[in-house]
Amino acid sequence: MLTKFETKSNRVKGLSFHPKRPWILASLHSGVIQLWDYRMGTLIDRFDEHEGPVRGVHFHNSQPLFVSGGDDYKIKVWNYKNHRCLFTLLGHLDYIRTVQFHHEYPWIVSASDDQTIRIWNWQSRTCVSVLTGHNHYVMCASFHPKEDLVVSASLDQTVRVWDIGALRKKTVSPADDIMRLTQMNSDLFGGVDAIVKYVLEGHDRGVNWAAFHPTLPLIVSGADDRQVKLWRMNETKAWEVDTLRGHMNNVSSVMFHAKQDIIVSNSEDKSIRVWDATKRTGLQTFRREHDRFWILAVHPEMNLLAAGHDSGMIVFKLERERPAFALSGDSLFYAKDRFLRYYEYSTQRDSQVIPIRRPGTPSLNQSPRTLSYSPTENAVLICSDLDGGSYELYIIPKDSVGRSDVVQDAKRGTGGSAVFIARNRFAVLEKSTSQVLVKNLKNEVVKKSPLPIPTDAIFYAGTGNLLCRSEDKVVIFDLQQRLVLGELQTPFVRYVVWSSDMESVALLSKHTIIIASKKLVLQCTLHETIRVKSGAWDDNGVFIYTTLNHIKYCLPNGDSGIIRTLDVPIYITKVSGNTIFCLDRDGKNKAITINATEYIFKLSLLRKRYDHVMSMIKNSQLCGQAMIAYLQQKGFPEVALHFVEDERIRFNLALESGNISVAVASATQINEKDHWYRLGVEALRQGNSGIVEFAYQQTKNFERLSFLYLITGNLDKLSKLMKIAEVKNNVMGQFHNALYLGDVKERVKILENAGHLPLAYITASVHGLNDIAERLATELGDNVPSLPEGKTPSLLMPPTPIMCGGDWPLLRVMKGIFEGGLESADRGGTVDEEDVEGDWGEELDINVDGMENRDIEDILAAAEAGEEENDEEGGWGLEDLVLPPELDTPKASANARSSVFVTPPQGMPVSQSWSQKSSLAAEQAAAGSFDTAMRLLHRQLGIKNFTPLKSMFLDLFNGSHSYLRAFSSCPVVPLAIERGWSESSSPNVRSPPALVYDFSQLDEKLKSGYKATTTGKFTEALRLFLSILHTIPLVVVETRREVDEVKELIVIVKEYVLGLQMELKRREMKDDPVRQQELAAYFTHCNLQTPHLRLALLSAMGVCYKAKNLATASNFARRLLETSPVDSQAKMARQVVQAAERNMTDETKLNYDFRNPFVVCGSTYVPIYRGQKDVSCPYCTARFVPNQEGNICTVCDLAVIGADASGLLCSPSQVR
Amino acid sequence: MSAMGAGPDHLFNLRNNFYLGAYQTAINNSEIANLSPENAVERDCLVFRSYIALGSYQLVISEIDESAATPLQAVKLLAMYLSTPQNKESTISSLKEWLADSTIGNNDTLRLIAGIIFMHEEDYNETLKHTHAGGTMDLYALNVQIFIKMHRAEYAEKQLRVMQQIDEDHTLTQLASAWLNLAVGGSKIQEAYLIFEDFSEKYPMTCLILNGKAVCCMQMGNFDEAETLLLEALNKDAKDPETLANLVVCSLHVGKSSSRHLSQLKLSHPEHILVKRVSSAEDNFERAVQLVA
Repeated sequence: MLTKFETKSNRVKGLSFHPKRPWILASLHSGVIQLWDYRMGTLIDRFDEHEGPVRGVHFHNSQPLFVSGGDDYKIKVWNYKNHRCLFTLLGHLDYIRTVQFHHEYPWIVSASDDQTIRIWNWQSRTCVSVLTGHNHYVMCASFHPKEDLVVSASLDQTVRVWDIGALRKKTVSPADDIMRLTQMNSDLFGGVDAIVKYVLEGHDRGVNWAAFHPTLPLIVSGADDRQVKLWRMNETKAWEVDTLRGHMNNVSSVMFHAKQDIIVSNSEDKSIRVWDATKRTGLQTFRREHDRFWILAVHPEMNLLAAGHDSGMIVFKLERERPAFALSGDSLFYAKDRFLRYYEYSTQRDSQVIPIRRPGTPSLNQSPRTLSYSPTENAVLICSDLDGGSYELYIIPKDSVGRSDVVQDAKRGTGGSAVFIARNRFAVLEKSTSQVLVKNLKNEVVKKSPLPIPTDAIFYAGTGNLLCRSEDKVVIFDLQQRLVLGELQTPFVRYVVWSSDMESVALLSKHTIIIASKKLVLQCTLHETIRVKSGAWDDNGVFIYTTLNHIKYCLPNGDSGIIRTLDVPIYITKVSGNTIFCLDRDGKNKAITINATEYIFKLSLLRKRYDHVMSMIKNSQLCGQAMIAYLQQKGFPEVALHFVEDERIRFNLALESGNISVAVASATQINEKDHWYRLGVEALRQGNSGIVEFAYQQTKNFERLSFLYLITGNLDKLSKLMKIAEVKNNVMGQFHNALYLGDVKERVKILENAGHLPLAYITASVHGLNDIAERLATELGDNVPSLPEGKTPSLLMPPTPIMCGGDWPLLRVMKGIFEGGLESADRGGTVDEEDVEGDWGEELDINVDGMENRDIEDILAAAEAGEEENDEEGGWGLEDLVLPPELDTPKASANARSSVFVTPPQGMPVSQSWSQKSSLAAEQAAAGSFDTAMRLLHRQLGIKNFTPLKSMFLDLFNGSHSYLRAFSSCPVVPLAIERGWSESSSPNVRSPPALVYDFSQLDEKLKSGYKATTTGKFTEALRLFLSILHTIPLVVVETRREVDEVKELIVIVKEYVLGLQMELKRREMKDDPVRQQELAAYFTHCNLQTPHLRLALLSAMGVCYKAKNLATASNFARRLLETSPVDSQAKMARQVVQAAERNMTDETKLNYDFRNPFVVCGSTYVPIYRGQKDVSCPYCTARFVPNQEGNICTVCDLAVIGADASGLLCSPSQVR
Repeated sequence: MSAMGAGPDHLFNLRNNFYLGAYQTAINNSEIANLSPENAVERDCLVFRSYIALGSYQLVISEIDESAATPLQAVKLLAMYLSTPQNKESTISSLKEWLADSTIGNNDTLRLIAGIIFMHEEDYNETLKHTHAGGTMDLYALNVQIFIKMHRAEYAEKQLRVMQQIDEDHTLTQLASAWLNLAVGGSKIQEAYLIFEDFSEKYPMTCLILNGKAVCCMQMGNFDEAETLLLEALNKDAKDPETLANLVVCSLHVGKSSSRHLSQLKLSHPEHILVKRVSSAEDNFERAVQLVA
């Protein structure tokens, strides 16, 4: 049982779940009805109008209403939105036990100790039917969820099923007059609209509860005889099916589970029991120490139950709903029902992999808790709570589409948790001893390792590492080094989510998310008020997580925010761009598209990717107070400026970011004294005296203005101000200005005008303005003040300004980094926005700023790294190594070594087996048996000249082994490379050597040979064709068909070699035109590709035509025309033909008769006409005049002409 | 060596780096505090063996003086043997002398070094005389290699099984099983590949790991991937003999010219087995021509 929420209160007698919201009503023995939000754990409201206990309470399924019934005989209908009781239904004559709304009609059914059941219409607020028949208290009554039935239970030991079909008809067709008449009659006599259909007898004591099955014709009841009975009904009768015994006291309440095939009951014996509804066996029992249970409620939609007891109530789940899943690259493995399933993200394909439980096995709380997957071995570890924690290991068959329903015999074991730590190793936690067993895929223990802390769960933490969890901390433990790599105090961690690069980890607790580095260095902590459910890392290093009702994000610095709200909890499996993949509680995969703009924006800010920030500002609709507040709070008021329309906020942001020009614009718009003043202050701070002046002018703050003029040395303006003051009759201001200006006469004048004659007199006389002083003295008459004695007056004059006006050197405000970033982004991004005022000097500064920052970061990072290293080093010297006992053992065995041990003889190298088995020359060469290879070639192809083959032999030999550096400082191990490897080749069975030449390479060479021929590079072409000819003896192919192709290739290449040799020869013979013509003519009889033939014909035609052998030339021309050449060639050929027609003669006699078929001798280049004797090369099939026999073939340069040979052997298929 | 002891294994990283061919890293990170005397000797052995693997024989010879422990003396012997092949007779004779000495003859490191030296001499009989009993992971691993060299995979497998019983996840066990898998070939090559793949995921890439993977690829006929891996290895160390040798082989198979790599190998490592094979093959060819003619 998973308790989700608990309350402490008076005895709870009635409970009702809200069908949509996370609310529950609890009616108490004290008369209070409480409305709780069980998700947030808060009391939303309380309704206190009943007198005495309230036993029944029920939410309406669509209206904001609920109904309650109590021991004050009253049924009250409440509106929870208005927090008040709408009306009271009166009629029952004793305690009311239960009340329930009809799911469709405006009805309420109530059961009462007055032995009746009443049905009320809450719209007309009248009782529409009274169901009589029970002869003791009716303890419970409820509508059937679909049909027109009511079930009731009574202390008269019966359960009754009532048919209310007639009542429904009356309501549905009230317009029917005749019906109404009869109904009115029946109303008068009562009981006709609702008749008892079945009376279920079987309980020996009073029945406390009866309930319908939500879909099947079943009823379950619980009674004071401590039994739960299951009843079945059909159209005509109802009968007892079975009895569930187990409760030790009166059964208070019993009902079917809404989704699973189970029955839940509770009792005064202080227990809740869960029963298998099919097998009718007890599955689970939950006990409370002191509290008797009184009531039970099932949530209509979700997997939730609630039970009321003596001192409160609990909301609980019977089992977890989180599907176990494991992520691997693009695929997700998860457990659903009794199958392991597979989901591919890219295709969103979902398929069943293997069954993991036999059908019909009890499922409650045995479903997989965690899943761990090893991609290379295709193995899955499934952990469940079965037997106090156990695991099963399945190897998924290769053809895993396994539709079959046969459950594999999994390898099992017990252990707190089991998780793969390497491709073929998994760790199993042994809680009792706090050690892990490392096992292989055969489920054999490979290693045992004690854990550094008492651990109650282990998680993957990179290959060979484990993350161990205890109550209050987690550690990462390296199993091989037996070292603790990192440690972190945390609340109880439930889930661990690694980023894809394994650099960061998110530790999810019930209400906390902790982000840490791979060494468990804390990066940030987030607290949530609602349960944290799941999470995954996105590609940018943002952690996306879900709570019960939100999808949220967490940036690396710990800033978090809501992405969207959720109706039902989901479990995120993967985040990819804007898509969140998740599993819901039904185990269905879903892809949710989210708007990632906000967190990507914040992330860019955080990472100082101002170009991104800028483009996002330009392209997306980011705004809102929250964003502005965020920017301000994070110290980016200048960015916020871009979002704001409101002038006041703009002004504030501008001031904050020191952007005076924006501030001036805003201040002008606002035009309020306070704003001007603040602008003045900021401008003054920056030293922008022009703006200060402007601001002071706007606010007419003359005093400040005059002081400003004084310190800026702007005497003109100062005297102007003095005049203004005079006009405005501001004597004080005037005097100040005069003082600032050092204008003594003016001061005397002001004092005089203001009537301060004595002061004026003193001022004048001190400054030596004697005439004025005298005048004033006369005016003063007797009252001439005496000048102070003994003091030397000094002239009070402000210093003359050296220069005046203009701004002071401006303070560089924090405008710094960001503006620079923005502007440069502007420049980089959009070329046409050239109007950005570039201030290069400033920009330079900014860059420096940026650099500094980065430097500092670097230094910090370096410092951190240094610290880490130090830490590590500190970690080394903890304790001395305990030497393993093995160190001593070898001595004993070593002593015995020389006597017993006999060195085994050396085995056979692979190359030897090659040379033993093969009759292919190439394989012999690769094996290094050059002599055998040569003998084979000699026998098969008559080859005698091996010199051209030398490099092939060496290459084959050199390419036959790779080199493995095994043990340090030891000789390397050469490894024979074999041909035709496949996954299924069995070990220790030797295949023939892999050869460096293959047929496809020759094809390539042939093509380049053709190309060289076309372009007239005859030497190059000849080299290529010859190399083909030289390689073929050492090529091995697999099939017969390829053998034929190889043989064809020999002939093709031979023709070209011969032809090209003749052509090259022809070019040497510049001085022998006859021979030239002959060779050109023979060339045209080599079997060439049509384009090459055309060229050969063209050249032969040209040579002959020039030599005036017109008849022969025209023959070539005709042959050329037959090949349908390009126009230019055709034109030339036609001209030759025409020229020849006029004069069909040959100037010189050639040894060339084109009418008579012939082959050309490979060395003498003379035609061998059909019927003449010849000899041929056993390898390349070139033909020779008989006297060449015994020589090395001049075409292939390999074989002896006329030698005996068995023929080319180039495939194992020929040998078989 | 490392059975199921408790307590952290201080030399783990050092050993690992050494086995996986990260010799410079091993040397650089050899300052480990609070080592027991035995561990300190083992540490020094590993460091000096790393120097030997890097070819710094003289450094080892001059650093280890007369007073050093037996294992270190043995290591010095190896350095002497490898540095001056012309004097190897005297080195071997002093080695034999030490082996005969009952007080030090059974020293694991001495036996290991003896095994390595006799293996260079291709005297497997003598080699196995000293190593066959095993005793340390190093010795077992050496035995595996000896038997592979002798083409006796079944014996190698027995040695490997002993290693697996001691510690299946030990780096040397994994390496040795990769060697054996490669030697027996067939479907086992894939397992060897996975082992090297595991290493490359767990530890920094070294030429040894890259070459291991490349050799697996070549054995599986996947020469293109092998070439990529080898070029990566070449980037790490342009003079690594195995990288060059395997590149020669690989280039031949992908139809590219191998002569540059071969000449480089001939220049930097004239004693390499491939160089020897090439020159012997040339002689062999001429001889065969004579024979057949």
